[in-house]
Amino acid sequence: MIESLLQHLDTLLLYVFAACALVGAVLMLVLRQPMRVAMALISTMVFLGGIYGLLGVHFIAAFQVLIYVGAVMVFMVYVIMLLEIRESAGMARYSALVVPGVVATALFVGALGYGVWHGYPALIRAAAGTRFGIHQFSISFLTEYWLHFELTSVLLVAAVVAALAVIKVSRRAHG
Amino acid sequence: MKHALTLIVLLPLVGFLLNGFLATRFGGNRVGKGFVTALACGLPIAAFLLTVACLVRLQEAGYQPLVDTAYTWALIGGRSFEIAFYFDRLTAVMTLIVTGVGSLIHVYSAGYMKEDESYARYFAYLNLFLFFMLLLVLGRSLLVLFVGWEGVGLASYLLIGFWFEDPEKAAAGKKAFIVNRIGDAGFLLGMFLLYQTVGTLDMDRINAAFNGATLPAVSASLVGILLFIGATGKSAQIPLYVWLPDAMAGPTPVSALIHAATMVTAGVYLVARLSGIYLHAPEASALVAGIGAATAFFAATIALVQTDIKKVLAYSTVSQLGLMFVALGVGAYGVAIFHVTTHAFFKACLFLGAGSVIHALSGEQDILKMGGLARKIPVTFVTFAIATAAIAGIPPLAGFFSKDEILWFSFASARGGSTFLWLVASAASLMTSFYMFRLLWLTFFGASRMSHEVEHHVHESPLSMTGVLAVLALLSAVGGFLALPHFLEPMLPLPAVVPALHHHERTLIGIAIALAFTGLAAAVFLYGGGARRAAALRGRFPLAHGLLLGKYFVDEAYDFLVSRPLLWLSDRVFLRLGDRVLLDGTLNGLAAWAQRTAGSLSRIQTGNLQLYAFLALAGVVAALVWTWAHV
Amino acid sequence: MDKIQVLLALSVALFAVGLLGVVIRRNMLVMLMCMELMLNGVNLSLVTFSHQLGSTVGAVLVFLIFVVATAEIAIAIPIVLMLVRQKHTLDLNAFTSLKG
Repeated sequence: MIESLLQHLDTLLLYVFAACALVGAVLMLVLRQPMRVAMALISTMVFLGGIYGLLGVHFIAAFQVLIYVGAVMVFMVYVIMLLEIRESAGMARYSALVVPGVVATALFVGALGYGVWHGYPALIRAAAGTRFGIHQFSISFLTEYWLHFELTSVLLVAAVVAALAVIKVSRRAHG
Repeated sequence: MKHALTLIVLLPLVGFLLNGFLATRFGGNRVGKGFVTALACGLPIAAFLLTVACLVRLQEAGYQPLVDTAYTWALIGGRSFEIAFYFDRLTAVMTLIVTGVGSLIHVYSAGYMKEDESYARYFAYLNLFLFFMLLLVLGRSLLVLFVGWEGVGLASYLLIGFWFEDPEKAAAGKKAFIVNRIGDAGFLLGMFLLYQTVGTLDMDRINAAFNGATLPAVSASLVGILLFIGATGKSAQIPLYVWLPDAMAGPTPVSALIHAATMVTAGVYLVARLSGIYLHAPEASALVAGIGAATAFFAATIALVQTDIKKVLAYSTVSQLGLMFVALGVGAYGVAIFHVTTHAFFKACLFLGAGSVIHALSGEQDILKMGGLARKIPVTFVTFAIATAAIAGIPPLAGFFSKDEILWFSFASARGGSTFLWLVASAASLMTSFYMFRLLWLTFFGASRMSHEVEHHVHESPLSMTGVLAVLALLSAVGGFLALPHFLEPMLPLPAVVPALHHHERTLIGIAIALAFTGLAAAVFLYGGGARRAAALRGRFPLAHGLLLGKYFVDEAYDFLVSRPLLWLSDRVFLRLGDRVLLDGTLNGLAAWAQRTAGSLSRIQTGNLQLYAFLALAGVVAALVWTWAHV
Repeated sequence: MDKIQVLLALSVALFAVGLLGVVIRRNMLVMLMCMELMLNGVNLSLVTFSHQLGSTVGAVLVFLIFVVATAEIAIAIPIVLMLVRQKHTLDLNAFTSLKG
């Protein structure tokens, strides 16, 4: 009993993490305070990182925690703290599109879930079990996808310039 | 000189390009008149000399045709369309006429157009015409011939409308161009038919195919008639002759070169060149002869009463071209080319003489306002008189020989000659003699009817003009001794003569001479003594005179029968119904519909971001559902 | 239902929940976070496929998505800050300048 449990510990943990991530996501919809929403999101991301780790792609798991939780969400939390002081929480939580939105999302999940359920797992499982680490990833990144890699730097520079421009425009408008 | 033939064709083009780009207002007037004159006259003369050299070579080669392939235009499925030039006896004659008479007229123009401000443009156009005309006569393939055919039409249009500031002259140019297009439709159809059945457009090969053991699987008459429709346009035959009299709006040397000596004979050349087809097309030949005879007759009747010196000559040209087609129709192709040659000499001389008269009278063209010019401009008078006698058929001048042969073959040819044809042609011939001497008398004899001011300025033309007139008069006088039909006979054999009619030949010559002198006598009788008798005659037959003066009202009839219905159709059906209602209506309706639907759809754009997101979501869901349902 | 299907289903669910959040939540910051959630859902599916197929393509794409997400936040936050400065609210319904 214990042995078999240990044997399937990976899978079990995976399921638990998946359930937790989903709960975190759903909480994001329900919680009123943005800060709490952010916390729910962070937890979801951490659980996802755990899933990645369980799958064996440790470097993605590391990136997930470092970039998403460490950079993006910290930034987010900072902004929430900046704005929350001035903004009252008295506004409505949901827009007028709750009902149609839920219905459409249900249909969406139904349609995609149908695909997942009746999909072609046989095909997906074809090369199952082949692990790869940061080694292969780095090699393929810097040989096969070097152009994309370089383009990301362009994108980042563009984003920085755009952010600066946005701030400047608003300063001029209010200055 | 391997490419001598190409060089002949290209020389005038060089003149056109240089003069057109350097000396006109378009090119910034970079060079002076001396350069223009030297270039424009020198290059045709060079082409003429080259042609003579080619003729010598042709003779040395035992009259084996010279072929010069300049360029392969297109290769389509193994068949090549080449720009090749072909030089045989017929081409030699035509090229000599085109370059020879062309050169003379260029020299003449240097004097005639001296005062014109568009001097260089004129010569550029004239050289362009020469280029296309040489392309036409030297081209081996019908395709090259057609390029030249259209090109001379273009040059003709440009030169008729040379003084385009005058709307009437510009309209005359357009008329010539449009009427020619109608003929070209037939030409093109004939060409397509030939290509489909014979598989080549090279004219020597087409002739060979029709002379071979098995005839091509096409009605020779149908091809012949279609090509003849093209010829009626270019060579001003019934029913498409209406443009030629109006073409006199151009400068007079142009009328001499294009609308008398060379371009209008292109139709004659075409039929003679493709004689292989017409030999197997008795119906088409009969049509050619019939149309030719009718044109010769009706144009001559119109010429009887015209008072504009150039209009008389224009109708005379139409009439003479009719006679050439009579010769073609009865199978005497060499004789037709002979008449083309002599006609080029004397008609060029007449037109240039008329130009000299107009020049002397400061632009006056009405022969009723001339008279008594013989003493004042003697050189013009003498040359004009010689050319008049030549066209009238007074022996032994050029016109006598060629016209006599036409009359003889129209009577006796075994290929469709008949007494009726001869009668019509003879009547035309008689009228030719009459109206030409009438023209001569009204212009040069009798009392002067000029206004005082005009009379004061009358002067003989400069040497460049009178010299050319003298050369052409000389050619008109002796051109009949060239014996061209004999020269062309190995290529274009003369038709057999009905044996029973053989003994009539001398009688007919006698009649022809008698007709020429009858015309002369009648003209002198009517117009000799102050034209009182002519006035009396006119008073007795006012209706006939009005009909002839109105040129049978053919232009009006065409206007009423063709132009107006077309205009009505274009305006009412195509413009108002087709364009405005159907096309514009459809488009406007579609645009309005799009605007309406877009207007109603734009109401969705509330500016609410979440609605947009929701619509995107709905779209994705719909796409997914559809995909699952269909894939 | 095996591991792969569970992970794919989770990725669909995350994506759907994120999308629903974008559609129904009115707070702009929450909407932004929901977008991040959507990206995470996609990432999960990519990692799953990549893991199963033993190919690095999916991992590379995930990495690129990280970059895009960072850039997106870098631009989105200033925009939100500006919008808030204009209308003094985080309520999306206050902004209708996209009205056509």
